[in-house]
Formats: sequence, C-alpha cells, structure tokens
Amino acid sequence: MAKSLLIISRQAPWAGPSAREALDIALAGGAFDLPLGMLFLDDGVFQLAPGQQPGQVQQKNLAANLQALPMFGVEELFAAGSSLQERGLPADSLSLPVKVLDDAALAALIERFDQVVTL
Amino acid sequence: MKFAIAVFSPGHAPSSRRALLFAQAALAGGHEIVRLFFYQDGVHSASGNIVTPQDEFDVPAHWRAFVTEHALDAVVCIAAALRRGVLNEEEAARYQRNAVNLPAPWDLSGLGQLHEAAQTADRLVCFGGD
Amino acid sequence: MSTLHVISHSPFGDNRLSSCLCLLGPNDGLLLCGDAVYALQPGSEPLKTLQAHNLEQRLFALAEDLQARAINSDAVNAVDYPAFVALSLHYDKVNSWL
Repeated sequence: MAKSLLIISRQAPWAGPSAREALDIALAGGAFDLPLGMLFLDDGVFQLAPGQQPGQVQQKNLAANLQALPMFGVEELFAAGSSLQERGLPADSLSLPVKVLDDAALAALIERFDQVVTL
Repeated sequence: MKFAIAVFSPGHAPSSRRALLFAQAALAGGHEIVRLFFYQDGVHSASGNIVTPQDEFDVPAHWRAFVTEHALDAVVCIAAALRRGVLNEEEAARYQRNAVNLPAPWDLSGLGQLHEAAQTADRLVCFGGD
Repeated sequence: MSTLHVISHSPFGDNRLSSCLCLLGPNDGLLLCGDAVYALQPGSEPLKTLQAHNLEQRLFALAEDLQARAINSDAVNAVDYPAFVALSLHYDKVNSWL
C-alpha cells in the first residue's frame, strides 16, 4: 500500500518561491495518485486569505494552483485554527475548503500520516 | 533500513553539511540510501561552481565526492534548479546560457523522483534552514 | 505513529519551536540542532518553556552544535550522528521543520 504524506506549508505566499514549491510537492504526488494531505500552518494560512492580488507584485496567482489540489486527488486539506485566529483570518472566509483543526487535532493528524514534510 | 534524504539548503548552510554527515553515518551504520533529492535552495548544494576558501570545509565538494564514491542516486529538481541558475550541459544549451554548473554525478529530474524515493524508503529525512 | 521533530532555527524571533510544542504528540521526540540548541541556553525563556513541557527522555540535541555554541545543558540528551540515525529509525517518521 502506498505511504501517505502530509505536507505542512508554513510560508506566506509572496515571500519567494517557497509556498509554490511546497504546493508543487503536493501536486506532483497527486499526479501519481498518492495519498496526500496538506496542512496550512503559521504564516502558511495567509495562502488562504480571500481577495489577494499578487499581480500587483508581479507574481502568479497561487489560488488557481491551490484550487487544483482536489482535482489532483489531494482532498485532505487542513488549516491550523490557532494560526488563523492569531492572524485574524475568519475560518469561513478562506479561499479554499479546508478543515480547521485545533492543536490536539493537529497532533492526531500528524500521527495518522506515514510521512511528514514541513516547509 | 532504507533512507530517502532530501536537502533543501545551499552548501553554505549548516543544514547541508548536517545532511551530508547524516547520510555518511547512515551508510556507515549499514543502511541504504535509496536516493538523495535536492530541492528548493538545496539545488545550490549540487552546484559545481561553488568556490570555497581553502581553509573552510567545502560542503558541495564533499557532496560530490560522497555521491561518486558510493555511486548514489542523486537527483536535483529540474524546476527548482532552472529557477536558481543551476544547469547541466543539456539545459544550458536548451536555454542558451553560458554557464554549466551541474556536471555529473547529478541527475536533473522532477518532483516525482522525491515521491518515488519516499515510497521506496523506510524513512524520508529532510534537511533545510539554518 | 510517533514522530521525531527536528528543528534547526533559533527560538529567538522564530516560531517553529513554539508551533512544534503546540502539536507535539505524547510519544513524539524533539531533536534540536544548529541554532535551535540556543533554546537550551541556561536561564533563557525557551528553556523554561521546554522544561514546562516535561519532555525529559524525549528531548535531544546534536552534541556538536551544543559544543560549538558552548551550551552546557543537563536538560537534554546529546547525540552524535550515528545516534541521530538511530533516533530517526526509533521514531516512525521524521518531521524536519525546514
């Protein structure tokens, strides 16, 4: 049976290629039909903020790639509730349908996956 | 046991050296490395154009020697490498760039190689940051 | 499944350690290396936080990084590279906070 991989994305979206490159790991794995999950943690939750205009800083919109995740078979999408709360992002305003988890649920989530990459 | 080791930092970062020493210890302990994968700024750890002062530990040179000596499968992510100007002969010709800084023993390939290695290995261990 | 969390950033001005402590499971281990060993600086706030989590036998640090930074701590299990490899196999997976 294929090993499951949880990708924890902690980077804000427009500070360099890091957030996109984390997403690329998920999209590449999804293309191989691997069991993948993605968790947005710390500044990574800013990737989910609505109404962003990255064209203003001449960056490609990450939202299109994020929305492609379910189409690539990455359906397990999570965000850390404490990270959202700390950053004033209401859970019901996010640009992607994610499951919001408290800290105890985060520990259980990490425990459930075979492998974890945090970037 | 089988390890997949992924490096996310350039040769001048302490974590690239740490990855190297971990990989050496894994082999010395009788374990197998199914693949080394260099991603994000880790592609610079594979660059052949790094000039390290003579009295300093040359991490990229040690990576090259380690991969060669043990004939390891060492893959540099092609998308991350192109973005950062780490090119082999073929890519330099394709994009008409003057410098080639990724000679053998490295392979340029895609992220699928990271997933394949992670699937094959007992442990995926990543190194990056400071 | 247990996880060995690996952190290499200084806890001062970076939230990796505090985030990690929030989601650390009861069977998880924590290995500090690089500048993350500054969390073991005697008298520091991060050390107090670590001690409050009672990690004891689950808290490790890379010996070379402790020595390089002149940090003497009896609050931690110092490990060399062979022991780092063994730890990565003792736990079911390794989560490096890149």
